[in-house]
Amino acid sequence: MESFDKKPMFAAMKLRLQNSWMFVAFFIGFFLVWEYSVIFFDIPLYILTPPSLIVEKGAADLDRLLYYTYVTGTEVVLGYGVAVILALPLGLAIAFSSLLKRTIYPFIVCIEMVPKIAFAPLFISWLGFGLLPKVIIVFLVCFFPIVLNAILAFSSLSEELTLFCRSTGAGVWRTFFKVRLPAALPQCFVGFKYAAINATVGAAIAEFIGSDKGLGFYIQIVTGNMRPDLAFAGIFFLTLLGLSLFGIVTLAERLLIPWHISVRRT
Amino acid sequence: MSHHIEFAGLKKVFGTGPDAVQAFGPVDLSIAEGEFISLLGPSGCGKSTLMMMTSGLLEATEGTVTIGGSQVKGPQTDIGVMFQDNTLVPWRTVRGNVELQLEMRGKSLKEFSDKIDNLLASVHLEDFADRHPYELSGGMQQRAAFCQAMVHDPKTMLLDEPLGKLDAMTRERIRSDLQRLWMQERATVIFVTHSIEEAVQLSTKVAVITPRPGTIERIIEIDLPFPRDFDVKNSPEFAAYVREIQEIFRGYGVI
Repeated sequence: MESFDKKPMFAAMKLRLQNSWMFVAFFIGFFLVWEYSVIFFDIPLYILTPPSLIVEKGAADLDRLLYYTYVTGTEVVLGYGVAVILALPLGLAIAFSSLLKRTIYPFIVCIEMVPKIAFAPLFISWLGFGLLPKVIIVFLVCFFPIVLNAILAFSSLSEELTLFCRSTGAGVWRTFFKVRLPAALPQCFVGFKYAAINATVGAAIAEFIGSDKGLGFYIQIVTGNMRPDLAFAGIFFLTLLGLSLFGIVTLAERLLIPWHISVRRT
Repeated sequence: MSHHIEFAGLKKVFGTGPDAVQAFGPVDLSIAEGEFISLLGPSGCGKSTLMMMTSGLLEATEGTVTIGGSQVKGPQTDIGVMFQDNTLVPWRTVRGNVELQLEMRGKSLKEFSDKIDNLLASVHLEDFADRHPYELSGGMQQRAAFCQAMVHDPKTMLLDEPLGKLDAMTRERIRSDLQRLWMQERATVIFVTHSIEEAVQLSTKVAVITPRPGTIERIIEIDLPFPRDFDVKNSPEFAAYVREIQEIFRGYGVI
């Protein structure tokens, strides 16, 4: 891949800070308002705790939180990974096969309309409280956006480029790797990103329904014990997990399609 | 062997039964090697259909296309094609896009390295070889696309309104670039346009096409010296050709 002009790191960071100081100020302001509202309105601690207390109590329970982050993270990574590995080739196959387009494709569109999370209790009753049902649910909420975007991606090469490829007499594989695949990547990433957002939601809800460990389990238990401070600590780690996955996907996008309009910096 | 192009009773019908639309033909035409022929006509007259049949990307309903003595039966690879929307890919640089044509054909990039340099220089893109298409103006993109379409030394070039989306001033400049390239390479060019002036300026022959169904109304030989610069364009002979073609279209109520 060709190299792109990069501004010196320091100057780029300075510029970013200049552009984002308002957001940072708002962010800090939000937590300050929260902190002092709890004190000012005299809200009981079992209803809402100030951020400072969340940090303090969360830190005291850090071992458990980290272990559960690892548990939920494993479910997310496995479910997401399997979804990518299976959905991409299937999307490709459907895009190029009129048989599959008439059979599996409408089926997938129908299933997409069903809220996948509604299957969660069933999978847990079939497969127990372990890792597998959670991975399957994460897989389900990730699989469909990736497949549908992949189908769109691989079937929307422009008329001109299609004719160009044919006029060169290049074979199927060469056409695929030199033109079709790179042209499809931006749309594929739309699916990858959407699925990355779904993944942690799926894992947390699956854990709510039936589990004995993980961040979803943790949030549910501590809320039942009137400990919103710990619930917020759990939500914080769940958010961190979601952001990390999304960040990795975004980074991959930057590396793989630096030329695309959604990625390139002007 | 002479690389001329022959159309014999060529006809294209879209659809079947009562809904069938005769888009083009029947047409008989012979194009000599090294000729620059313009297919000139209003939109919807089947110019592009004729081009697609010539390149073998579209099957004729009746009749034949023969290039260099052999009948066209599938996509032709010894041609360069160019469309109104160019086929530059955004993930490659200008040079990378020109190289794509060679890579798709499995040709050695090393062998063509000088050729690419020369082509880019002849359209004033030598300083933009490492830029991406989105960093270029529309006119520069089309010039890069010319290089992409002709880097593999095609004997025949099919240009389907390659200047169609450009503004009038840019068109003017690129026309002369195109003319110079053609004078260098001397490929047989079939050029689709709906600009009368453009056709007269660039072509050795202009095929005037009238619509519904598209047929070649007349073939006019343009007997003016090359390169056709500003002076030639201002000559009374040039104006006479333009007027002659205008009369034909006026007779058909096209203009």
